[in-house]
Amino acid sequence: MATLDFYQAGRSRVHGWNPVTKLSLSLTLVVTAFALPVLWWPVALLVLVLLPAVLASGVQRRFLATMSRFLLPVILLLFVIQGLFYPGGGQVLLTLGPLSVHADGLLFAARTALRLVVLTGSFLFLLLTTHPGDLMTALVARGLPPKISYVVSATLQIIPAFRQRAQGILQAQRARGLRTDTGLVSRVRALVPLISPLILGALSEVDERSIAMEARAFGSTARRTSYTVIPDSTAQRLARWLMLLAALTAIALTTTGVVS
Amino acid sequence: MSIQVEDLHYTYSSGTVALQGVSLSIADGERVAIVGQNGAGKTTLVRHLNGIFRATGGRVLVDGQDLAGREIAELARTVGYVFQNPNEQLFARTVRAEVEFGPRNLGYDRARRDELVDWALTATRLTEHATSHPYHLSLAERKRVAIASVLAMDTPVVVFDEPTTGQDHAGVRDVSEVIAQLHARGRTVIAITHDMDFVAENFDRVVAMAQGRVLADGTVHEVFADAEVVAGAAVEAPAMMRLAQGLGWTESVTTVERFVAVLAR
Amino acid sequence: MITVDKLGYTYPETARPVLREIDLNVPSGQFLGVVGPSGAGKTTLAQALAGYIPHVLGGEVTGRVEIGGLHVVDTPLPDLVTRVGMVSQNPFNQISGAKFTVAEELAFGLENLGVPRQDMLIAVREVLRRLRIEHLAERSPYELSGGQQQLVALGAMLVMNPDVLVLDEPTSQLDPAGSRLVFEALGELRSRDITVVLIEHKIERLAEFADRVVVLVDGELRMDGPPGTVLAAPELVEWGIGHTRFTTAAVRAGGRWPSGAALPVTLDQALAGFGGAR
Ligand SMILES: Nc1ncnc2c1ncn2[C@@H]1O[C@H](COP(=O)(O)OP(=O)(O)OP(=O)(O)O)[C@@H](O)[C@H]1O
Ligand SMILES: Nc1ncnc2c1ncn2[C@@H]1O[C@H](COP(=O)(O)OP(=O)(O)O)[C@@H](O)[C@H]1O
Ligand SMILES: [Mg+2]
Ligand SMILES: [Mg+2]
Repeated sequence: MATLDFYQAGRSRVHGWNPVTKLSLSLTLVVTAFALPVLWWPVALLVLVLLPAVLASGVQRRFLATMSRFLLPVILLLFVIQGLFYPGGGQVLLTLGPLSVHADGLLFAARTALRLVVLTGSFLFLLLTTHPGDLMTALVARGLPPKISYVVSATLQIIPAFRQRAQGILQAQRARGLRTDTGLVSRVRALVPLISPLILGALSEVDERSIAMEARAFGSTARRTSYTVIPDSTAQRLARWLMLLAALTAIALTTTGVVS
Repeated sequence: MSIQVEDLHYTYSSGTVALQGVSLSIADGERVAIVGQNGAGKTTLVRHLNGIFRATGGRVLVDGQDLAGREIAELARTVGYVFQNPNEQLFARTVRAEVEFGPRNLGYDRARRDELVDWALTATRLTEHATSHPYHLSLAERKRVAIASVLAMDTPVVVFDEPTTGQDHAGVRDVSEVIAQLHARGRTVIAITHDMDFVAENFDRVVAMAQGRVLADGTVHEVFADAEVVAGAAVEAPAMMRLAQGLGWTESVTTVERFVAVLAR
Repeated sequence: MITVDKLGYTYPETARPVLREIDLNVPSGQFLGVVGPSGAGKTTLAQALAGYIPHVLGGEVTGRVEIGGLHVVDTPLPDLVTRVGMVSQNPFNQISGAKFTVAEELAFGLENLGVPRQDMLIAVREVLRRLRIEHLAERSPYELSGGQQQLVALGAMLVMNPDVLVLDEPTSQLDPAGSRLVFEALGELRSRDITVVLIEHKIERLAEFADRVVVLVDGELRMDGPPGTVLAAPELVEWGIGHTRFTTAAVRAGGRWPSGAALPVTLDQALAGFGGAR
């Protein structure tokens, strides 16, 4: 299933952490990385926290592959644009014809790039090591309304189901002789007859689906219980408080101007 | 048109192993029923016959030609496949347009197309629904639309995935009649079904599957006489066979017709 | 317990009533079979018993439907669903989408009702075992064969343990062993006083397992009685419902079926009758 593609099942300690702990970790990393205007700080976070956590969970290959696929182009672009066109100017490091590379621009690019790496890396780490179902269960246990959790879970599953269906109809059409192999135009044309069955199919099933949900007491006002229990521990609870404290401290340090 | 399946393996992307070495050879004009437990791999198997699924091991030959690398649209000329769930198959705005879709793609001329579509609609008792929207029909009727839309392609091989599901008595009779007509025209007919009396009354040969493998392959009587196969494939012998066995008869009896004939002797 | 009194129903935007003057009382713990040709109104009747008519589908209801003393039309759905569960025809559309494994999917209804976790674990394990789908517990409910999905849809209702269970062709895609298993499981519900209303085309199984069978044709109840009598009635052929192979064999056997003996609808009855024939 495509949206679950991120999640990589495993038996590591990190996989066993409560999803909320991992979510807190990701948020803390991001908040402090963006709050503290210290260039080396994101580097420290990466080297001392994120990378060890990734290694400990054994998802490093997927992590590195996905990070480089998503981030390398962005970072490259960032350096080129900021290096050449940064408004402040500053020391000129290099001149290439009419263009010149500014130190301030590069510094800005480096700062942004590092923060981006922390941002993407933190959430990728969360997604790679946490099953979305567990994350939802843990959040509902903490007061997230079940309807919101349902919308998220259903979207995660229904989008691939929808895509599977589109592919299915396309295959069914090919199985009845429709040629879709030749050229872009005919491919786009092949999508047109797909739209109505997808939407109509979905619509004609609305009644059936709402019946199925009602039959499962989804409209009940009872206090919901949970089949899956998500393990938690005092150490993790403590860690989450400390992380919150760290994030708040970072924000306080910056807003009060202690660090600049 | 003959079909050869050689040591076929298939594993879904989720990692579920659905077929683990299926070999099967079906001659031109045969009527073959595929039976077996839920999840045995029946649907997965037949989806290889027209290229919807591509083998992860082994190969499939139709008319002596390996299907690997051939387009689904090209294979559609040879093998027609009726999906288990009609909702996966239907998309047109009217029943008639749905049934016409295949023959149109195959480039049949107008006269042949009309003739085929009319025949397919009559055979499935859908003529009066020709202008209805397929989504406004009942599940059983949608299933018949799916059948009609494949019949109209007039392919040498027709594969049905549970054609009698949800059909009432009359609907099952229609499907039997369709199979008889296809057989009379020399077509190869393959059907997956869980209705063993339907098997006995309409097919010459039975392939019983379990856990991604073929457990037994033979005549109706051969396959259902083997208690181990019956248990292993989660099936049960046709009603008349159970009756004849219970009566201690030694003759091969699988249908009411045969039962009454033997009784009269 | 179900009480249906002069029930009539017309779908929104159509003129002709689909159900007419239906009278039906089903005592607690009874296993009732409903047969009828395509389009007779079987699904409509099931939805009216479970309250989806009119609560979800709208339309015009006349007469009265009561489930365990509750007026279906006047009772809000969430209060009804703990009393009456329904399994509908198409298994795919019954998957909630909220859950990622079959076990969680089975527990979903219990979670919504707030059942304590320990009880849920037991109930889910029991249903997995009863339907022999333990091996599917950790699979995604979307990645199953048609029959497997149908078993999950049925299990999801069984696990909720309602007083009344209405099932619309729940075994249509099951292998013969699986369908027998389901009929046996439904039969066992008698001992827990659960009322079962089962719409089914497999009349041979109904003959063996049901306490009573009603025939619905063109929106009307045409026949009501013990399976042996109803399912052997000659009218069933004319109504497009047909007979079991055993009945047909006895009819076609002419003089070789003992004169005066009732027509058989089960294997045992056929064996008894034909036993002395040759
Ligand atoms: N889309 C899918 N993704 C992953 N696994 C699947 C998918 N569809 C089916 N399977 C699995 O593959 C195996 C074979 O399934 P298949 O649909 O071929 O069974 P079948 O014999 O047709 O069963 P049924 O009689 O219930 O239709 C089963 O274990 C099933 O759970
Ligand atoms: N949503 C609907 N709107 C209008 N008419 C419907 C709807 N659903 C079913 N019908 C009609 O009601 C009649 C009974 O249908 P149904 O209860 O599905 O029959 P069965 O289950 O016995 O096959 C049929 O004539 C059908 O066309
Ligand atoms: Mg199948
Ligand atoms: Mg129905």
